[in-house]
Amino acid sequence: MTTTAPPGSQRRTEPPTAPADGRRAVLRRIRSGNGFVFVLPFLLVFALFMVWPIVQGLWMSFTDSSLALRDTSFVGLDNYTEAFGDPDVWSSLGNTVFFTAISSVPLVLVALAMALLVHSGLAGQWAWRLAFFAPYLLPVTVVTLIWTWLYQPELGLGNQFLDTLGMEPVGWLSDESVAMWSIAALTVWWTVGFNFLLYLAALQSLPTTFDEAAALDGAGAWRRLWSITLPQLRRTTGLVAMLQVLASLKVFDQIYILTKGGPNGSTRPVLEYVYDVGFTGYRLGYASAVSYLFFALIIVVSLVQFRLFRRED
Amino acid sequence: MSSRSPLQGVPAVSDPPHRLSRRRLLRHAMAGTGALLAAGPLSGCASPASASGASALSVWDLFQGGDGMLMDEMIDAVSRGDDGFDVDRTILDWGPSYYTKLAMSAAGGRASDVAAMHLSRLAGYAPGGLVDPFDLDLLAEFGVTEKDFTPAVWSRTRHEGTVYAIPLDVHPFIVFYDRKAAEKAGLLDSSGALAPLGSPEALLEAGRALAKATGTSGIIFGHVTDTAQNWRLFAGLYAQTGAEFTLPDGGPARIDVDAAVRVVTLMTQLFDGKTNPNNLDYNGALAAFTGGRGGMAMLGEWELPTLKESGIDLGAAPFPQVFEKPAVYTDSHSFVLPHQDDPDPERRREAHRYVAAVLKQSLTWASAGHIPAYQPVLSEPGYAKLEPQSSYADAAKVAVLDPPNWFVGAGSNFQNRMCQPLQSALLGNTSPEKAVRQMVREADALLRQPNPVA
Amino acid sequence: MSANATPVRARRRPPREAAGSPLLLGHGRLPRILAGTALVVLAVVWLVPFLWAIATSVQSEEDVATTGLSPFKGALTLDSYTEILERGNVSVWAFNSFLIAGLVTLLTVVVSTLAAYGFSRGTFRGRRALLAVTVAAIMIPPQLLVVPLFDQMLLFHMVDTYAAVILPQVVAPMMVFILKRFFDGIPKELEEAARIDGASEFRVFRSIVLPLSRPIVAAVAIFVFIGAWNNFMWPFIVTNDPDLMTLPVGLATVKDAYGIQYAQSMASALLAALPLIVVFLLFQRRIVNSVATTGLGGS
Repeated sequence: MTTTAPPGSQRRTEPPTAPADGRRAVLRRIRSGNGFVFVLPFLLVFALFMVWPIVQGLWMSFTDSSLALRDTSFVGLDNYTEAFGDPDVWSSLGNTVFFTAISSVPLVLVALAMALLVHSGLAGQWAWRLAFFAPYLLPVTVVTLIWTWLYQPELGLGNQFLDTLGMEPVGWLSDESVAMWSIAALTVWWTVGFNFLLYLAALQSLPTTFDEAAALDGAGAWRRLWSITLPQLRRTTGLVAMLQVLASLKVFDQIYILTKGGPNGSTRPVLEYVYDVGFTGYRLGYASAVSYLFFALIIVVSLVQFRLFRRED
Repeated sequence: MSSRSPLQGVPAVSDPPHRLSRRRLLRHAMAGTGALLAAGPLSGCASPASASGASALSVWDLFQGGDGMLMDEMIDAVSRGDDGFDVDRTILDWGPSYYTKLAMSAAGGRASDVAAMHLSRLAGYAPGGLVDPFDLDLLAEFGVTEKDFTPAVWSRTRHEGTVYAIPLDVHPFIVFYDRKAAEKAGLLDSSGALAPLGSPEALLEAGRALAKATGTSGIIFGHVTDTAQNWRLFAGLYAQTGAEFTLPDGGPARIDVDAAVRVVTLMTQLFDGKTNPNNLDYNGALAAFTGGRGGMAMLGEWELPTLKESGIDLGAAPFPQVFEKPAVYTDSHSFVLPHQDDPDPERRREAHRYVAAVLKQSLTWASAGHIPAYQPVLSEPGYAKLEPQSSYADAAKVAVLDPPNWFVGAGSNFQNRMCQPLQSALLGNTSPEKAVRQMVREADALLRQPNPVA
Repeated sequence: MSANATPVRARRRPPREAAGSPLLLGHGRLPRILAGTALVVLAVVWLVPFLWAIATSVQSEEDVATTGLSPFKGALTLDSYTEILERGNVSVWAFNSFLIAGLVTLLTVVVSTLAAYGFSRGTFRGRRALLAVTVAAIMIPPQLLVVPLFDQMLLFHMVDTYAAVILPQVVAPMMVFILKRFFDGIPKELEEAARIDGASEFRVFRSIVLPLSRPIVAAVAIFVFIGAWNNFMWPFIVTNDPDLMTLPVGLATVKDAYGIQYAQSMASALLAALPLIVVFLLFQRRIVNSVATTGLGGS
């Protein structure tokens, strides 16, 4: 509309500082657009590598799409019916939830403890931060290489240590009742640094007034921790826990490399089952259906968390 | 194929010269990065072999340890001379990881030029177009023809009449024995070889005699948490009954339940936990046998190098016939040509020449215990001298492989799922009848899955 | 806390070097000693795996294969390191990791800042809807899409190419969202003046908004780089050619003829760990801040 408006009327809408050639500027502004060009590259990759696979995956879940080179045909709900009756889907979902439970709790609590301790003002800040955060910077394979060696049945640090204590060796990765715990321990070591930093940042931005007042009133350190600092961290804890649960549900890398889901499927998470049926077993269509079932679980968990989070707020 | 027709206009870097120049570029770049990483002189000595990757034939396999080093030797041997190959070898983890990557690279169309594959796996690759056929005329030009293989093995290299795999070896599940213990137990014939047994009772009796001879246990077998051992033992014995075990698409599996129960019953009687231990895992069994706590071990021949080191007076024989028919469970390491979208004919020719050249080196391979599939090597004087390899070479003639289907074969989920009920039976947690019923159920469940390669 | 509080704070008032709060422990000696002890124990537990790995890597394979709790069982040697560097694989993978993580970071930062600016200042139709879709996409873990993505790469004939590893990683709705919130916090008056002066929208973005956003862009870049450097599942799925693999994928996939050798495997692990640890030592504060800002920013 501005293009057709007379110069006079145009002037009035401009701020007083507008230069004489304000009209040209406005023209240019329109030409350079409404900002859509800026969003375009993102929309392109987003459409290609996010929207496409989401839609394609949904379509594939209704087909018998295969890794082998052959035609694909529509099979309706067959994949979903099969998935609901497939005990391996349920056991891998169960394993995923179990891993999430036993890894998330220490990943939040240990991180909190670390952050509180580091924040307490002891000397050597950078050294503590390095010690706790460094593992987070390691690629997963480095972590699994190191821990395979720690868990090695005869020569590994774990069993050597038990041996000097006069205890029986443990099948860290070969015992069905132990393997998932071993993986959780490794995961805590590996990724706790991230949560630790989130907590540390939160602690550093807390207002100190309450704390100071309480200290003047003679409240001890322990007391102030429980009744002032921790309540102040409630929000952060909710956030860290939420991010952690979602991260733990997506576990694949370290388990695939360490145990390939074994022994006897006892550590196989659902994402590995997707890999196993989709790539090892060629059945891309079926794997897509399992992915979508897992997706449903993630959405449910997110919504539940979101509601809890909201209520606490 | 239609679902994956090449998308017009999408740049694909599939022409070999292009790809090779990238490789070369990489190798140059890597010298620089290497220097950065090593921060010094350490990286200056990049091996000459990797520096000349230009025309290298890329070869994939899953051989580590003893086999891995022998394969290195064979590749070295065919790399010498003017017409020697320039081989870029990649080793991946044995089992599902290898076979998954192989299938994915073939589906992607940029697979290696040659790859190793268990023959039992071929049914999962040939029908789906994941491996390309061999040109038999070309192979004949390099001196390898059908006549050079035993029919039992050769018949498994084909899919719909076309040959997709060239066997390098036959590797049966056999028995190793301690000559001294076996002699004491009266199991040897006049020539000092294991005498035929002929019946289940004779096998049980042999176990008792061996146990008496060693003072500990008779026959050693490791199976706990193993994903193949129980199946190997079962499948070999089952084949000896002459009963059918086939897996028709859509199911149900054709399994003779009575014969299977007979076999599993024999297995549980043999490994009763008293005469012969029933609760060993694979490594525990190896340790028990090499430690002299048993007169005989049921193992794959590939354990030969390990067993030889133990200093036992080692004998070996094809798995003894105890039922109606001679049969030995085996598999075969073969070469395949993973699918490439547009293979360069010159490279394909080189791939054929390479396969033929490596087959002719299989005397080296035999030192690991494997029976060369390429028969001319068996008649070389060098092979006859290999002891105890030559004493079980006949196993190749009665070779029995997994029933063909896409989900079957070495390192497959199928073998794993067959092993679970067998393990329960051997540990005494379930009866042979129940174990067999469970096996049939598992096979039927796998068959109900739509076949993704058909 | 307002939605964009965190990034803005990062810009205007860089979080102070974690000095900690002496208040937390009070002035008593006992809590101080207890806290110190706990901290040292935790740190030791966290460092032991590293130390054990380092000790293993500088010994011969034979010495490593003997039992005992002592970390050093024989003479020190760097054989494992020379052996690995000679084989060259690790260098190729390190090169690929640098190349891929570098390009992913560059592309993600460019694409995401542009998009964030467009979403923040744009007036185009459907802006709100597209933004809502972008925000919703944050909830979708990329791991769920590997199967259709691989199928897509088969269709595009891109399996075993760098592009296939890189491009899907460039989609980072979370980073777009974080940057957008930051841009929203920048007062518009600054730009209006420039616009009236006739500056193009891109010019405004480049010379006014970007310079003000350097810390958040750096934070996003660092975060994306760490993620791409350590990404495993997708690169693992889409590369089969060992010459194209990244460090984590190559180390996990490719074996050598001899079988497992622990001294060498520790040496290669440590070599692969080195680059980011060095980067961390150099840019410690930046990295810590970036994790805190972008990590919390996702709320």
